[in-house]
Amino acid sequence: MIKRCEDIRDRIGAWMDGELSRSGAEEVRVHLESCQACCEERRQLEKLQASLEAVLVAGPSNVSFERFWPGVEQRINRKRVWHEDFFGRVRDLLTPPQLAWLVPAVIILVLTGVFSFESFFPGSRLAVQRNNFAAVDSIDAFGRNVAVLRENETKTTIIWLYQNQEGEDESTGEKTDASPSF
Amino acid sequence: MSLLGKRLTRALLSSSILCFLAGFAGAAEITSQIVQIKIGAILASNQGDEFDSRLAPLEKQLKLMKYRSYRLLKEESQKVQRKGNATFDIPGGRSLVVTPQESGTKQLALRVHLQQGGKPLIDTTVRLNSGGNFLLGGPPHEGGALVISISATAQ
Repeated sequence: MIKRCEDIRDRIGAWMDGELSRSGAEEVRVHLESCQACCEERRQLEKLQASLEAVLVAGPSNVSFERFWPGVEQRINRKRVWHEDFFGRVRDLLTPPQLAWLVPAVIILVLTGVFSFESFFPGSRLAVQRNNFAAVDSIDAFGRNVAVLRENETKTTIIWLYQNQEGEDESTGEKTDASPSF
Repeated sequence: MSLLGKRLTRALLSSSILCFLAGFAGAAEITSQIVQIKIGAILASNQGDEFDSRLAPLEKQLKLMKYRSYRLLKEESQKVQRKGNATFDIPGGRSLVVTPQESGTKQLALRVHLQQGGKPLIDTTVRLNSGGNFLLGGPPHEGGALVISISATAQ
């Protein structure tokens, strides 16, 4: 029961301000009808609210705004030069609440750039570096030895056909000076 | 948000959408039937320390092979239909036949057949991304080894 009272008291302020849902407000109202302690809490809050309102309403009447008006009027009537206007707008745009649009926009632009880079520049070195790995589906070296090297850093695939064991190519009789050479 | 902010946001969103559409259009283009095959025949050897400046884009790939000298002997490019043959004459009386196979949107499958004097040396099928390349090497040539860079770009 104590826990329930604590829960209700936490919500009395919101209930008085009309911020609770229909069911929540009804729950608080029913509880207040049956619980003296919480009802007393409500009365205290009402008194506090009334006092605050009185101070806030009475306060401004004691302040003299007359000396502020000329400055305000002057600022309203002053014609702003174009660059002040422009930088003012840019500043407004880049202040934190308005800046929120920039984050998804930059992410979208970066992702778009990355994914469409190859479409726009198919022959570029960057695109080739990113996508260069080739996969060997099948290979037939007609009885010769063959090796496939895949190197990660440069994303390179090399298919290397070895010379015959005698060190001589059967078709040309040419000799090579190094093999394998990786 | 100010009027300028709204306009900028709209402009950014519109350009993003356009970029995406352009990217997809590019991807769709890859399914077209023409493939550009580019080959470079390179002599890799340990005679001298020459590195042909025309091979600069391939330098990192070629240096994997630990030869001291690399010289571009021949460079040729051909456009070919899918399932069509691109035949290249390779130094040393060899010939290379490259046949683009069926492939997905961004990948190409190439059947590569290297022969010498009518005798087949190697027959392989390789899948690579459009714009990518691979190296085929090993046949002896002029005291070194012949390395062939093969790249394919869907158009």
